[in-house]
Amino acid sequence: MSQFNVKRPIVGLPEQDPEPQFSDDELVWTDDEQAKIERWKGQYPDPKAAIMNVLWLAQEKFGWLPPEVIQLCADTLDMDYARAFGVATFYTQYYKEEQGEYVLDVCTCFSCQMMGGYDIFHYLEEKLGIHDGETTDDGTFTLKEVECLGCCGSAPMMQVSNGPYVHNLTKEKVDQLIENLRAGQMPTFTSVTLPQDEDEMGGNRRTDVQPEQVETYQTPPRAEATE
Amino acid sequence: MPTITIDGTTYEYEGDHKVLQFCLDEGVELPHFCYHPAMSIPANCRQCLVKVGTPKINRETGEPERDDDGNVQIQWFPKLQASCTVDVQDGMVVKTHRSDEEVQAAQKDNLELLLINHPLDCPICDQAGHCPLQIQAYKYGPEGSRFEFRKVHKPKRVKLGPRVTLDAERCINCTRCTRFTDEVSESGQLTINQRGVKNYPLTAPGEDFDDPYSMNTIDLCPVGALTASDFRFKARIWEMSSTPSITTTNATGSNCQYWVRDNLVLRITPRQNMAVNEYWLPDEDRTVYEQFNNDRPTGPQIRTGGNLAEARWPQAYARAAQDLSSVDPSEILFLGSAHATVEDNYLLTQLADALGADAPRYIPHVEPGAGDDWLITDDKTPNAQGCERLGIRAVDEQMIRSKMDAGEIKLVYVLEDDPVAAGLFTEEQLKGVSVILHHYNTTNQTLPAADVALPAAMVVETVGTYVNQDGRAQRVRPAKEIRGVNRTLMMEMGKARQDTHGTPFDKWYNEENRVNCKPSWELLPEIAERVGHPMDYAKGPKQVMDEVQSTLDAFAGATYDAMGLKGVQLEDVETGETV
Amino acid sequence: MEATNGTPQSKAGDWRSYERVLLPPVKDLHRLEVYEQHGGYDALRTVLTDDSLTPGDVTQAVKESGLRGRGGAGFSTGMKWSFMPEPDDRPRYLACNADESEPGTFKDRQLMEYNPHLMFEGILIACYAMQIDACYVYTRGEYVDWIDHMQVELDKLYDKGYVGDNIMGTGFSTEIVMHKGAGAYICGEETSLLESLEGKRGYPRYKPPFPAQKGAWSQPTTINNVETLACVPLIVNRGAEWFASTGAEQHPGPVLYGISGHVNRPGVYEYPTGMLITDLIDEVAGGVRGGKALKALIPGGASVPPLRADMIEGVTMDAESLREAGSLFGTGGMLILDEDTDMVSWLRRVTHFYQHESCGQCTPCREGTGWLEQIVTRIDEGEGRLRDLDLLLELGDQMEGRTICAFADAAVWPVRNTVKRFREEFEAKCKKSVHPTGAEVSAGAETAA
Repeated sequence: MSQFNVKRPIVGLPEQDPEPQFSDDELVWTDDEQAKIERWKGQYPDPKAAIMNVLWLAQEKFGWLPPEVIQLCADTLDMDYARAFGVATFYTQYYKEEQGEYVLDVCTCFSCQMMGGYDIFHYLEEKLGIHDGETTDDGTFTLKEVECLGCCGSAPMMQVSNGPYVHNLTKEKVDQLIENLRAGQMPTFTSVTLPQDEDEMGGNRRTDVQPEQVETYQTPPRAEATE
Repeated sequence: MPTITIDGTTYEYEGDHKVLQFCLDEGVELPHFCYHPAMSIPANCRQCLVKVGTPKINRETGEPERDDDGNVQIQWFPKLQASCTVDVQDGMVVKTHRSDEEVQAAQKDNLELLLINHPLDCPICDQAGHCPLQIQAYKYGPEGSRFEFRKVHKPKRVKLGPRVTLDAERCINCTRCTRFTDEVSESGQLTINQRGVKNYPLTAPGEDFDDPYSMNTIDLCPVGALTASDFRFKARIWEMSSTPSITTTNATGSNCQYWVRDNLVLRITPRQNMAVNEYWLPDEDRTVYEQFNNDRPTGPQIRTGGNLAEARWPQAYARAAQDLSSVDPSEILFLGSAHATVEDNYLLTQLADALGADAPRYIPHVEPGAGDDWLITDDKTPNAQGCERLGIRAVDEQMIRSKMDAGEIKLVYVLEDDPVAAGLFTEEQLKGVSVILHHYNTTNQTLPAADVALPAAMVVETVGTYVNQDGRAQRVRPAKEIRGVNRTLMMEMGKARQDTHGTPFDKWYNEENRVNCKPSWELLPEIAERVGHPMDYAKGPKQVMDEVQSTLDAFAGATYDAMGLKGVQLEDVETGETV
Repeated sequence: MEATNGTPQSKAGDWRSYERVLLPPVKDLHRLEVYEQHGGYDALRTVLTDDSLTPGDVTQAVKESGLRGRGGAGFSTGMKWSFMPEPDDRPRYLACNADESEPGTFKDRQLMEYNPHLMFEGILIACYAMQIDACYVYTRGEYVDWIDHMQVELDKLYDKGYVGDNIMGTGFSTEIVMHKGAGAYICGEETSLLESLEGKRGYPRYKPPFPAQKGAWSQPTTINNVETLACVPLIVNRGAEWFASTGAEQHPGPVLYGISGHVNRPGVYEYPTGMLITDLIDEVAGGVRGGKALKALIPGGASVPPLRADMIEGVTMDAESLREAGSLFGTGGMLILDEDTDMVSWLRRVTHFYQHESCGQCTPCREGTGWLEQIVTRIDEGEGRLRDLDLLLELGDQMEGRTICAFADAAVWPVRNTVKRFREEFEAKCKKSVHPTGAEVSAGAETAA
């Protein structure tokens, strides 16, 4: 019972004056990005409200948010660096540390917990040889235990790199996923069919989603972690 | 007039108030941490909870409903309210911990929660002794804690900036510091970082908290999370005396407290005066404390045989008098000082007048662009306005230099200033001239040229009046003893706990910390008497100031009693035409 | 709740033949073309072009429909709308709360996936009713795929002139902006959502002032949940009476039940409110997995008190019935737990969630959520003491109702009620205590037996 002791790293002293990860030459927006930022700024009465969008954009561009990138975002919106830093540290999806190429956010919140989320999490820990928040030595995977991702019916599930969801996880499915990711193949958007649609429409209702991208809500067998 | 009832006492009020501030104004103490009258209200500490009710209004009649006894029925808010956010309304009834057990319990519960992750390291914390968390925990908190787990660990000893050190574990996340940088100083340098129980204030990575007002966050911090880097572990609060006075770094005359232990000034903190500095004090006013302790002269000196040699006070007076008498009055340059008090400058004008010399001039110390339109001014002296009101004008550098070059100046009498450092003269130019110097520190660059060097008491050692740039006359009080002054006899000097409660063993001090200097209001009459113009101010500077305010319109009303702790706003006068 | 004749009564009427309206069985309904072919945006057109329908009438209709917010609090939507001040020269905002983060809740995501236009149409009607200048759809950052899909449809709406200036040529203008969160449960709280929308840390604000007076950028603002707004076109199309007569009288309308946990057929189901919980578990979701007995049910997301199996007989899924039964409707995200579930372990994960997601602003919540987690963890690890159970309850009292937002309350309710309702399980896990006289007394085993 209760096999979900997750190792939590002790938070060290914040690096007050870290070495920049990106050079000044890299810390510039392309014209496209600048145009996006301008559009976002226009969408709010106060352009500073676009900081969340700009941080997202920066994370997509640089992979994570080292201090100099946060500063770039703050300067872009003409706001206090400290405020942008406060925002970046409040939200968990912004990566304040360098991540692996793929970030595996395994949901272990209670619906997933009850359906074997910790089995999946521990399986990945073992398989990849890393714990919560850690990155494999080759820099390919970062593993994280995350809170409810809003897919309780298709538990256990995970999100890959702030992107697609992978539902109804089993160990076999995890093996396949890891293999695919190692081969550079990201999972794609998956539509989980409503049970009522299965009854009334014979399955998924979205024709723009390929059959292999469709799943149904399932109940996995009893979780090891709760035995 | 509308009324509000707090713990059974009914108060009349006018205007808009929040319940917490209203209670504080009325002397009803309520525990609180995050609330500060000068900043926005976050209501996050949850310490000031009270029970609030309003009269039940009958919807049809619009009148309050009454019970059988004719008492107005009160509709209580379903939850306890943070009194800092509740607007005072007519007929409102408030129950604090004094009259309500639920409120009492809530305040106790909240303190238990505040303390579970607090390191409880009061024995080594600078804040201990004047810590709102400590005080309120003793007063309103539980006797023990039921928390039996490992506390959350956070960064300690973080150097936020040149002057402020953070211990994040002590932080209770009241956000006063971040609100200060956002709303008051507007430097935006601090933010709360992380989330939940891990959060604490921090600068952005690599950024220095070098806000020129950064040290105000130390005063605001209701715990020991933000401490002054150079005051850490120096002294316990109860070993120090604090004396209400003003700062002399610039022309604002910010009100402050000088904190002294063993006759050393260890720190300077703001003192509230809404007409001057409100609650704040710039860092430059605080970091100057060392000048009161370091490089202080050991006693008067006179030049004999080409060298400055130590002398006794009467010898120094006599030599000064002799030098003054040996030159023609028209060849004496009296330099008043914007660093010195009104009283001292006034006595200097008296002396110059008695001798028949030209009226004194003062050296302005203005650094254009140094000011910030707030508490930091371009003028780096505290009393230029006081000099002007006395009729002491800024020196005409060119004229004085040409007179000097022409050999028309034979004696320079310097009151508490440094003309060499100010660039008025070079040391070389003063070679052939008699120099009588009242000086504060041995680093005074005019000192090597002095013939008579008279150590003068500084602002923390004297009694006197300064007039700030807005024409506010404010008093200073002695915060530390000098040779010949006893703090228990000096009524106005701040006292430490051991002064009032200690045994003789507690009242130890190092003799060398009592500087052998004298206030200029003591020095000038001594010299005046010896040149044949006795001054009769037996009651000291108080009497001097009485005379000043009664004879000079520019100072009308500025008696010591009137100035008190907050000062007196003087009438506007055209400076330069008063005397 | 016992029905008068002794047999359980559903308030959902003939639910077996219920025809879905929020997620009607239409292929590709998420596409604007298909949505319009099936009567989409007729409600908006009616509202905008029918001169006899004033904004006030729309609000009135929503009020009469009895629609209650589907985001968790269950407040009357029409009432909420009517709190907006009379239009003046200030801008007015609507925030669509798509920050679905309540554990056990996954219905808004399906609505956004399969019928986003119903939400957009609802937003536009709400914008008309409250004379809103701009609506921000605050979607949690994890839903990035759905945000992208919705943006495609939103762009189509702009192209068609259904959003933006002079909508449908009627002179009414409003903007819709997709705003992406970045991982913070608290931003589902309406005032925290506004802070986050303004590009700040998601710290809830105290009320009053309420968002209707001082909301986003200090302007009048209303915040509604996705599903709530999706109900609005239905009310316009089918009438407030139809809505009010669907499902439970006090809490009417179609609703999405998100069923997860130990059932044979989990998923999102649309039925009227007032369904018998037993019907939902046994018939709709195909019964408890493996033929096991039911142990507990969490009817509406992590924040609502769990119900023991013996407490759900005759209870229907609507605010009144659930309140009587000792729980809340919440988000309608139902977690079903079978007889083998370890409730202590479950609660440990719940408390961890709240510890992790507390914004850290108010003292009782910031400190209390972590303390709760540590106590429950200790019990779960077999190191707890009996007095820890009382401490959990006392701590709950110390936190509840004393913070700016309802997060602390939400953290306390499951703890308090799980400890109370499954006390013997907790006691069984506690350490044996040593009796003061020296005789060893089994704390847990005996009490549990």
